[in-house]
Amino acid sequence: MDFKTGGFMYILGGLVVLFVTAQSLFFMLKAWKHGKKIGMQKSDLVNAVTSSALFTIAPAIAILATVVTLAGTLGLVLPWIRLTVIGNLMYEVTAAQAALDSFNMNFGVDVQDPKIFAAIAWVMTVGSIFPLVLLPFFLKKIQQKIGQAASKASDSRLPDIISAATFIGLISAFVGNALAGKGTYNKATNTLTPGAGIASVSVLIISIVTMIVLQKISNHFKLTRFDPFIMPISMFVGMGSAVLLKHVLPSEIFEFEWRPVAQ
Amino acid sequence: MKKAKNEAASNPYIDRMHFYGRISSVATVLFLLMIPLSICIRFNAFPTFTEVFKGLMKVIPIFWTTAILEIITFSPMLGTGATYLSFVTGNITNLKLPCVLNAKEGAKVKTGTDEAEVISTIATATSSIVTTAIIAIGVVALSPFLRSLTSDASPIKPAFTYVMPALFGSLGAGYFVKHWRISFVPIIVAVVILFFAPTIGTGTLVPVCVVVSILAAYGMFKLGWLDSREERAAKKAEKSKK
Repeated sequence: MDFKTGGFMYILGGLVVLFVTAQSLFFMLKAWKHGKKIGMQKSDLVNAVTSSALFTIAPAIAILATVVTLAGTLGLVLPWIRLTVIGNLMYEVTAAQAALDSFNMNFGVDVQDPKIFAAIAWVMTVGSIFPLVLLPFFLKKIQQKIGQAASKASDSRLPDIISAATFIGLISAFVGNALAGKGTYNKATNTLTPGAGIASVSVLIISIVTMIVLQKISNHFKLTRFDPFIMPISMFVGMGSAVLLKHVLPSEIFEFEWRPVAQ
Repeated sequence: MKKAKNEAASNPYIDRMHFYGRISSVATVLFLLMIPLSICIRFNAFPTFTEVFKGLMKVIPIFWTTAILEIITFSPMLGTGATYLSFVTGNITNLKLPCVLNAKEGAKVKTGTDEAEVISTIATATSSIVTTAIIAIGVVALSPFLRSLTSDASPIKPAFTYVMPALFGSLGAGYFVKHWRISFVPIIVAVVILFFAPTIGTGTLVPVCVVVSILAAYGMFKLGWLDSREERAAKKAEKSKK
């Protein structure tokens, strides 16, 4: 039995799941109670749960796929733990590779030495916990500063505009990537992340159009119950369109990128 | 005077969330440190300090700087409870933040209000639970099939490859339609940056685009470019009166 996927590691994974779930439930309960206290409709709270759950399914499956990417080197359980708490793929691969460098090894090999495995676990953990050390000290101060800046604004529209601009800035980075990003090739994991091209732009446009059309239909027919499903449906339509286009279009067109990456 | 201002700004619910959040952050740090420690003890495998430190020195300058930027950029969008919870559960840019934006847009709540706090915390908690469940079920039950489902040969592989444009396309659509005037600048800037620096990571691009977007929107607001037709007419009438 591989020590990386033995019973002990699964117990650790189970404890992490319990820890994260308990914390999430605690915060949700507190928010729910406060929502009721300030007179929010139960339907609004339920809608937030439904739409968030639906919204999460596809990205969560994508995260699950990244667990598999890491599993070849670290087994299934450590990536599972790391991607359940704090982690993300880019960070985990970088941290694992940094630790492996100390042993003159490259990501992609199956780690069989518990000492190397432990070193990787330490680097992944200590490297990632910094935000949790900062938050208790600085979050309140940051929020107070922002609150003061917002209350100083002479025009009441300004905070709303700044808030919208912040969201749009975030979204723009990802939209920009779909329009003009260059793909990457990770030698260590032998994985190619495609860049911007016909496929990414088509998926982007199809999801935007689907979202706008569904919103129009919902507004026109006053389908308020349908609202929480619009965003996840649009996302799934976008993802589905990628599958359809892959099978319908000739591969040289579907895989065409503005700036192809050399492997 | 200063004290009175602070008291006016204090909100018992937010204060409580800070209290719980601080406890949860400290508890998570301790819990996480127990994982590598227990691996060392269980397998009687203790790497040297130098071996771990050499690895850490390569990631700390990048990831600790990113952590500071992420807290400053994301916490105003997430709100108090959701910030504490998001930084525990991770995957913020690709999942928690879009999920919160979607839930707030759906509930039509205004950022900075108690209602927005409630919705973003519920959205983040739900997303964390669902993600945890999907990954756990996937690892435990689906591991034999998972590789074939997401492998290059899988017929549905493109769906996962292009999850980000699908996610941000549908999320952005609502914002772009509603705030089209302030959407052009950050998108154009993102494209231009990527043109000249194609390998820039999304983690670096996000704070840049957020700052550009805020500055551009502020400038447009000050120049009156975001005024409605009625507001423009009213301003014109006021000017001609003077």
